[in-house]
Amino acid sequence: MHLDRRQFIGSGLSAGLTSAFAYPAAASGDAEMPKWHAGYRTAPSEGFDQKAMQLVQGRPPAELSGTLYRNGPAQFHYGNAHASHWFDGDGMIQRIHIEDGQAIHTGKFVQTTKRMAEQDAGAFLADGFGTRGDASYPVQSSDDVNAANTSVIMAGGELLALWEAGSPWRLDPETLESLGPKVWRNDLESMPYLAHPKVEPDGRIWNLGVSRTKIAIYLSGADGNLIEFGLTDMGVPAYLHDWAMTDRHLVILVQPWIRTRFIPPFVNSLEWRPDDGLKILIVDKDDFSNTRWAQAPARAFFHTGAAWEEADGTIKLDVAFYDEPILGKGGGSSEIAGTWTAVERPPYQSKFSLLVIPPSGDARIIETQLDGDFPQIDPRYHGSKRRLSALVTGVTDRHPGNTTLSLHDWETGMTDAFDFGDNRIVEEFLFVPKPGGSDERDSWLVGPVLNISTQTREIHVFDSAKVSDGPVCTWMADYTWPLGFHGTWS
Amino acid sequence: MKHPQSIAALVAAAFLQTAAIAETVDITVENIEVQSGTLHIGLYDAETYDGGNAVNGAQVTVVGNTVSVSLQDITPGEYGVKIFHDEDNDGEMDTNPFGLPTEAYAFSNNAKGRFGPAKWEDAKFVVSEAGTAQIISLN
Repeated sequence: MHLDRRQFIGSGLSAGLTSAFAYPAAASGDAEMPKWHAGYRTAPSEGFDQKAMQLVQGRPPAELSGTLYRNGPAQFHYGNAHASHWFDGDGMIQRIHIEDGQAIHTGKFVQTTKRMAEQDAGAFLADGFGTRGDASYPVQSSDDVNAANTSVIMAGGELLALWEAGSPWRLDPETLESLGPKVWRNDLESMPYLAHPKVEPDGRIWNLGVSRTKIAIYLSGADGNLIEFGLTDMGVPAYLHDWAMTDRHLVILVQPWIRTRFIPPFVNSLEWRPDDGLKILIVDKDDFSNTRWAQAPARAFFHTGAAWEEADGTIKLDVAFYDEPILGKGGGSSEIAGTWTAVERPPYQSKFSLLVIPPSGDARIIETQLDGDFPQIDPRYHGSKRRLSALVTGVTDRHPGNTTLSLHDWETGMTDAFDFGDNRIVEEFLFVPKPGGSDERDSWLVGPVLNISTQTREIHVFDSAKVSDGPVCTWMADYTWPLGFHGTWS
Repeated sequence: MKHPQSIAALVAAAFLQTAAIAETVDITVENIEVQSGTLHIGLYDAETYDGGNAVNGAQVTVVGNTVSVSLQDITPGEYGVKIFHDEDNDGEMDTNPFGLPTEAYAFSNNAKGRFGPAKWEDAKFVVSEAGTAQIISLN
């Protein structure tokens, strides 16, 4: 079934491609680049005008209606200079509006202070996560170097483009027009806000912001208004990209990837200190001063799924753990340069794991056999006990990135997967609840894929109840846009 | 008789010297976004610019989006100006919880810093015997 469907998709799309469209080869000047480089190619500065995607496979669910917003770096080059880290390209929002069986794509760069200055200069100016800037570029706050390129969330009728070391950047969710930095409260101007806010099932939004050892805690309403703000401290200046939340606690994994110096670019300041182990700071959502610590063996990570609590107070969360940090110094630069080969893949892949934190004593790590990342959960179950995590898994020597969409059931230990094959790069898929349903499997998984052989983009919809059957439907755009990081469904 | 003349001469000389050093620094602050509160304008020399007390300065109530002030009796030499806008009149430069200013600030020559004040080398200007003027944009 699995292979048949994949073959069907392959042939179906190919037929569609050759008959219906004339495909531009990789954009001008990139002819010598490998085909997968389409995922790391600078997008047109004017963005992508609204365009209907073509339904190339299946039947779109009539009840599937909404908008997939995704964010990711899309400015990799100025002349012969290229960003020396994947995390540093200016953010571009891809908007895919799905309604009445149609999918319409638009894309626009976030017009940050950094982007406008660099576009004027035609050069990289700002120091980034891993890219060295120009020492004469003035920086009065982190928002002057804010790339707004990591994720998105809806709040108060605005789409917020998220980075992690600066403010969210406000956008019109229809036109994607940039509206400037979000100020949660006058005294919180230019505060960092991570790219991984956690949304309660009731719509309230929690998030953290980090400066050295200090952690800011934000709670806002779905209306975008700040409800509560507080501070805590993780004791060491660890790199914190993501975190987790139960219905009662904030769970902050303090990985031993420590900022030991203060030199630009940021990643050059980080040092891996496995002897320190993985420390876990647990903060009471009702009283930020009420904290406790737990300890686990050293692991590095970027992404969690979500946490929940058992009746005895044991906290469980799914994490894409690595034995050592990936995407450190120079991370993604050979992909951006088009020189990547499989030998550059780190010797260790992620180990998708369940972290079990008992009410007292050391935490345990239960590893699955899944080498995945970009975990996602059903938003109806955020913070409470659940069974499912969706993630991208599988690698090939033919291109960077992942090949497979996997849905893991923590209760049965089984994984339901669909392998897209060697010619597609699979990005984060989001759970979209089916109207009227309440079970986690009453949902679709919606996400984008880059078809490297045909230089096209696809949006796939899976039924969470039967992922290995392949996509329920697929829309295709006859052009590509760069690989992104994270998205939201609205 | 000689003594009083000497005193008179010394006094005259002192006056001449005073007249020679009594230069003016005209500062115009533009683009004031929040039209309330007080501008704190400090004039610093090389020794005081990085953390010392201002050698001269003014506090000016903000009315409108431009403020002008003349600092008098300035000895010719090199100086730098630091300005912050105390928008809520609490006498302090407000910061966010991580220490970044949330009230507007600026430096002479419209110099900009990198995660901090503009450097002396970028902000310094010469006050000559003809005085000088600085037009500084606050935002």
